[in-house]
Amino acid sequence: MELAVDNTAGMASLRSLDVNDAQEITVAPSSVRAAMAAEGSVVDIRGISYAYEGEVDPVLRDISLEVGDGEFVLILGPSGCGKSTLLQVLNGTIPHTLRGRLEGDAFVCGKSVVETRVASFATEVGMVFQDPEAQIINTLVRDEVRFGLENLCRPADEIVARQTEALAFVGLDGFGDRSIFDLSGGQKQRVSVAAVLAARPRLLVLDEPTANLDPNGMAEIFGVLRRLNREASTTIVMVEHRVDELADCVTRVVMMDRGSIVFDGDPRSAFSKRRAAHSEEGDAVPSSAWFPQAAEFALALADASGTPAPSADLPLNVDEAVRFAEAHFASGARAALPERAAIPPSEKPLLTVRNLSFGYERKQPILTDINFTLGEGEIVALCGRNGSGKTTLARLLVHINAPPPGTLMLGERDITGLSARDISAEIGYVFQNPDHQFVTDRVWDEIAYGLVVRGYADHAIEERVGEVLDIVDLKRYRDKSPFSLSLGERRRLSVATMLVLEPRLLVLDEPTIGQDHERAQLLMGLMARLRERYGTTILMITHDVRLVAEWADRALVVSGGRLRFDGLPQAMFANTDLIKEAGLLAPPVFEISCALAAERPDRVQPTLSLPHLVDMITGTEGRSA
Amino acid sequence: MNRSTAFQFRSGNSFFHRLDPLTKLAWLVAISLLAFGAYIAWVQILIALAVLFTALALGRISPLVIFRGTWLFGIACVSFWVIQTLTLPGTHVAFTVLGHPIYAESADYALASALRIYTIILSSLVFVRTTDPRELAIALVTQMRVPYRVAYAFFIALRIVPTIEAEIKTIRAAQAVRGVVRKRGLASRIGEMKRYAMPLLVGSLRKASMMVMSMESRAFGAYPQRTFVESPRMTVASYAVMAVMLALVVTWYGALAFGYVHSIYVFSGA
Repeated sequence: MELAVDNTAGMASLRSLDVNDAQEITVAPSSVRAAMAAEGSVVDIRGISYAYEGEVDPVLRDISLEVGDGEFVLILGPSGCGKSTLLQVLNGTIPHTLRGRLEGDAFVCGKSVVETRVASFATEVGMVFQDPEAQIINTLVRDEVRFGLENLCRPADEIVARQTEALAFVGLDGFGDRSIFDLSGGQKQRVSVAAVLAARPRLLVLDEPTANLDPNGMAEIFGVLRRLNREASTTIVMVEHRVDELADCVTRVVMMDRGSIVFDGDPRSAFSKRRAAHSEEGDAVPSSAWFPQAAEFALALADASGTPAPSADLPLNVDEAVRFAEAHFASGARAALPERAAIPPSEKPLLTVRNLSFGYERKQPILTDINFTLGEGEIVALCGRNGSGKTTLARLLVHINAPPPGTLMLGERDITGLSARDISAEIGYVFQNPDHQFVTDRVWDEIAYGLVVRGYADHAIEERVGEVLDIVDLKRYRDKSPFSLSLGERRRLSVATMLVLEPRLLVLDEPTIGQDHERAQLLMGLMARLRERYGTTILMITHDVRLVAEWADRALVVSGGRLRFDGLPQAMFANTDLIKEAGLLAPPVFEISCALAAERPDRVQPTLSLPHLVDMITGTEGRSA
Repeated sequence: MNRSTAFQFRSGNSFFHRLDPLTKLAWLVAISLLAFGAYIAWVQILIALAVLFTALALGRISPLVIFRGTWLFGIACVSFWVIQTLTLPGTHVAFTVLGHPIYAESADYALASALRIYTIILSSLVFVRTTDPRELAIALVTQMRVPYRVAYAFFIALRIVPTIEAEIKTIRAAQAVRGVVRKRGLASRIGEMKRYAMPLLVGSLRKASMMVMSMESRAFGAYPQRTFVESPRMTVASYAVMAVMLALVVTWYGALAFGYVHSIYVFSGA
C-alpha cells in the first residue's frame, strides 16, 4: 500500500522529506485518489495539523493517510511523536472531546470527522486503549460488552445475541457473568475488544493495547486481532511497540516522528533501513529500540558481511531470519567460541534473602521459602507472571511490606528491624509511575528531600544535589515543578531522588510497563552508568525479554510464590518449560541462534547478544578477540 | 494482592443478593428509622440481632468480613457506651463502681445509643456488600425515573472508589520509600493530604479523561433513553420485605405517638 499525496499541502510535505525517503512515497493523481475513495477507503485524511487547546506547537503536522478496507496498519514512532493523537482523530475524539486547533480534512467511513459527533461513530469505529482499568466502565463482563449497544437503544434480544458472538470471538465464551476485576490483564483487554466488537465496527483502532500486559496477555490480544483481520476482514489501525510479534502479521507500517509521517509502506520496506527518530526531549532514538529484532539482525549481518542491505527478502520473524542467516555463513569452518562475559560474576554478596515466606493472611502465603543472594554491582532481572509474587518480594526488600526477622541480610547486617526511612538510605525503589513518588513542588527540592529529612548539612546537600542533577541531565529544570516535566524526565527525576542517597541496591518496578522500549533503554543506560560510578546493584522486575537479554547478568523467576530459577538469563530462556510457566517468550535473537546452532553446532552457539550472533556467523569473532 | 475492603460489593447468591436494590434501600431506610426511633436498650438489641441475622443468614456475609468492616466502629460504640453510662444522670442506682453510682437508666440509654450507631453501620455493610452499584443505578433509572446520565455518574463514582483507594496505598508506599514518615495528629495528616493530592489528582484526571473517551466512543449519551437488557424487578420477596418493614416502622412510630411505648417503658413509672 502506498501513501497517496495529492493536495498542495501534501506536496509541500513531500518536498520537505529527504531524498531517500521521497522515493518511498508515491504521489497519486487526484483521479486515482477519487477512485480509491470510491472503492471505499475507511480512513481518508488529507493534510491535517492539530495543536491541543492552549498550546502553540502542533502535535500533528500536515498528516495525510488513507487506509483501505481490510488493511492492518501498524503506526510506530517514539514517545511524543503524535501517534496516539492521530488515533484520536479517527473517531472524532479530536476535535469534539479534546478541543484545539484542527486544520485539514478528515473522513472516516465516509463521514467528516469535524461534522460528526463521537457517539455517531460508535457503530463504525471501535476504540481500545492502553489501560484496562481506566477504559472499563462496568463490573460484570456481560454488562461491559452490552454497554455500547444499550446506548444505541438496540432491542434486548439483539444485544444478547451480539454479546454472545463478541465474547466467543475473543475466546471468552461463558465469561458473561464473571466480574471483570477477577480477570487477568489479557482477559480484561479481550473484554475491551469484545465490548467494541459487539457493535460490529468496520474499523478497529487500538492505542498500545498490550502495554500493561505480560507476554502471555500480549499473545492473547495479538491472536484475536490477527483473526479479526483475516477472518472478519476488519480494518485495524494500531499503535504498538511490540514489533517482534507484530511485524509479520500487519499489512502496512506507518512511521511517525515529531508529528509527521516519515514512512508509509509495507513492513519489509519499513524495516529495511535504519531510521533515526526523535524523543519528546529531542534526542535521537536509535532504530534498534523500535525495530523487530529479526530485521535488526539481518541489517547487522548484511553490514558485517559487506552484502547489500536486504529489502524484499528482509526477515520479519525467526524462521525467515534463520533462512536469511544460512546464506551468510562465511566459508571455512571456524569453531564457535563461547560468548565473553561482559561483567565478571560478583564475588561479594550484597543482599542475602534467607528462608523468606510472606502472606497477608496465614492461610494464603504469597511467598514461600525464598532464598537468593544479590552480588555487588550485579544487574539482576526478577521475572514471573502478573500475580506471581515478584512485586511483593521486591516490596519486602524496602519494607513496604514488613519482612519476618532474620530473612534479609545486607552484607553482614540483619536489616529486617530497620525503619522504612533507614532502609531507604540503603535500598532505593523506583516505582512504575514516577508521579507517585514526588513530595515537593520543585525539582531541586525533590532531589534534596531525602537528604533534608536525614539532617544533612546545607553545603553537603547543595553539592550532592548538583552532582545528581548533572548525572540525570535535569539541571536546566531545577526550579520547575516535577509535574511539568515530560514522562521521560519525570522518570529520570524519580531515579535521581533515590540516587542522591547513594543506595547500594536500586529496585526498578516494571520499567517497561506502559512505556516505550526506547524509554526503558534510556533508563537502563542510566543504570549502567550508576553501576560504573557507584557500584550500585540493580534489581529490575520485568517481563520485557529484550531488556533481560540485553542488560541482566542474572535472572530470578518467581512462580506461585516460590523461586523457581536463579541463574544466567540464557539458561532461563533455554528452559522452555520454565519460561512457559513464567509467562515469558524467548527473545528472537535467542530463538534464531538456537535454530542455527541445531543446524551448525560447529559454528553457532545459542546467545542473547545480537552482535555475538553476527560475529559467529561471519566468523569474525576469533579475529576480533 | 492487597486485602479488599469489607465495604465493597461482592457477587453472591444469597436471599439479599437476589433482592432488588430498591427494596434493599427501603430496608436500609426502615432499619435506620427504627434504630433512630428506639431509645430502649432491649428494642435496640432486638434490632441489632435482626440485622446481624440478616447479614449472616440472608446476606451470607462471613463473620470475618463483618468483623473487619465494623470493628473500628465497634470500639467507638463501646467507648461511647462506657462514657455515657458513667456520666449520664439517673435515679435508680444499679450498682456502684469504686464508689461511683451507675444508674440503670443511664446504662440502658447509653446501650441503646451505642447500639444504634453499630446497627446503622452494620446494615449499611449488608446493603453495600450485597448490592451491585450498577444494579442500583439501573433501578434508579428504570424504577425511579432518574435520568440515566445522573445514575451512571453515581455508579461510576462508587465503582472507582476501590481504584482510588488502591492508588492512595501505592502513593503512600512510594512516599514511604522516599523517607516520608507518617505521623499522628491533625497537622501532619493535612500535610499528608497535600502531598497525596497532586499525584492523585494527576492520575485521576488522566483516568477520568480516558473513561470519557471510552464511554463516548461507545455512544454513551447519544440518545435521551437507552436500553437496559436486564433491569432489576420487584419480586414477591421484595413486596414481602417492603410490607414487613413498613409494618414495623408504622407500628413502632404509631406506638410512640399513642404513648404505648411510654406505658411499657421499664423506668417510666419510677
